[in-house]
Amino acid sequence: MPGSNGAGSPSSDLELGSPGHSRRSLLKGAATVGVAGIATAALAGAALPAAASSRSAALTHNAGPAPANESEQIVVHVRDIATGEMDVFRGTTCARVNDTQLAARLSRAAR
Amino acid sequence: MSSHREAPEISKDPVADSTDVYAFVSPDKPGTVTLIANYVPLQGPAGGPNFFEFGDDVLYEIHIDTQGHAEPDISYQFRFQTQLPDPDTFLYNTAPITSLTSPAWNRRQTYSVTRTDSSGRHELGNGLICPPCNIGPLSTPNYAAALAEPAVHQLSDGSTVFAGQRAEGFYVDLGSIFDLLDLRPFQNLQLYAKALGFKAAPGVNTPKFLNVHSIALQVPISRVTAKGRPVIGVWTTASRQRARVYDTDGGHFDSGPFTQVSRLANPLVNEVIIPLGKKDFWNTQQPAHDKQFAAYFAHPEVAALLPALYPGVFPHLAALDAAQTPRTDIEAILLTGIPKGIIAGFTNFTGPVQADLLRLNTSIPPAAKPSIFGLLGGDAAGFPNGRRVFDDVVSIELRALAGVTVPLVDKSFTPDAAAGLLTDGLTPADLGTPYLDSFPYLGVPYDGYDHPAA
Repeated sequence: MPGSNGAGSPSSDLELGSPGHSRRSLLKGAATVGVAGIATAALAGAALPAAASSRSAALTHNAGPAPANESEQIVVHVRDIATGEMDVFRGTTCARVNDTQLAARLSRAAR
Repeated sequence: MSSHREAPEISKDPVADSTDVYAFVSPDKPGTVTLIANYVPLQGPAGGPNFFEFGDDVLYEIHIDTQGHAEPDISYQFRFQTQLPDPDTFLYNTAPITSLTSPAWNRRQTYSVTRTDSSGRHELGNGLICPPCNIGPLSTPNYAAALAEPAVHQLSDGSTVFAGQRAEGFYVDLGSIFDLLDLRPFQNLQLYAKALGFKAAPGVNTPKFLNVHSIALQVPISRVTAKGRPVIGVWTTASRQRARVYDTDGGHFDSGPFTQVSRLANPLVNEVIIPLGKKDFWNTQQPAHDKQFAAYFAHPEVAALLPALYPGVFPHLAALDAAQTPRTDIEAILLTGIPKGIIAGFTNFTGPVQADLLRLNTSIPPAAKPSIFGLLGGDAAGFPNGRRVFDDVVSIELRALAGVTVPLVDKSFTPDAAAGLLTDGLTPADLGTPYLDSFPYLGVPYDGYDHPAA
């Protein structure tokens, strides 16, 4: 049915540093540089310094209450692997993130 | 058309494609304004088994600028939700749908209405049901009384709302206009038609017998105006979430903030003012940023095409074009509103910010004897003072672009005689079904059994 969402991605799919990480979880989404991924655990805590992420008010459109929750799926659009510029989509928000290491790991994972 | 399939990208996304916006002081309830935003263009009434509906994944909005800054001071948001009680049948309905609670109706939509203004977000209604599409006498008997009228709902703030299928009320001869701006009543003068020996002929209403989906609101004037500022600017937008992932089971997952994919205020702006290479971009932009498009209003392409395609018919317009005279009349009508003092007793000026808004002076009462030519016909209650469902916006804009409104800003200019006669040859009499006298004003949708007729 249009608009129906799939099941949430378990964080166990997202051991990006592990050779056993799930490619399925990394193939969702679209990326102009050929890299996309669902990355919940990797985007939490130390993987992304707080200073490296920003949530632009201009990127959000007030579409009503849709608070992010921990089980919600995330789509990452790696805009530029070299600069590590990524858009992280969750719920009705988008955060612009710059993290060259994570971008490089996602790139390797998507091969 | 007014804005049906007017840009390359949105033409591939009908449920998010805004087609017409109407804003007028309600003739039968003059203390209210009626705002209508139409979507899902060019519906063949027989288009089953998946009949037309709004997008559950689209954020529909009607915005109102009350302060003259081209920003939304009030926004009404509409979100739809589809229910499929029985997924194991291919049928839209398994028996006649005799009421909005009929168990025979198998694909139905409900919606919520939320108003955002300076005091915050306010849900005005939820679980409001849309009527079914008008399928035919067996499936949707007594459509108007049993299905459409009960789908008019009262909101918690006293406003009235309807969302669902309606008969297309916009009349236009698309077939001729998009055939090198041929206007059938004048095609004996058109460059290529004349060469082929075409004679003048009546217009053909292309969307006759087609339907559309309307979101209609009727709101007390005091709820949509600021004190001492009777002129409002109205527009609609449709937005989608920025990221979509298609699952392999036929579903999809959307994420991220909503981004605007369609917008509409004045009719025909993105259609014929904005060039093809900018149309998709236009749909993403906010009205407050329309200054970037002002050159297309100052030098409209149609004004240059008319003398070229109708040789010798528009010499004064041709001279105006040749002198590269900016069309400040068109800029005023479409981008700022008409300031006080230009037309006796009339203004719909919102300020110097150039923005495509449908500007309505709510202090002007409905006309006792309305003219389909609106302001050009001496009727200040009609387009471009807002837009009523019956206004002949094609002829009004053709005439304005042909130079009829230049004297508003240059009294020394004499419009060509033909300019004031331009039309695609259609009137509301060319509709297949009449408008309604009351909310939601657009006619009962055509049913699929009878349209097209055998």
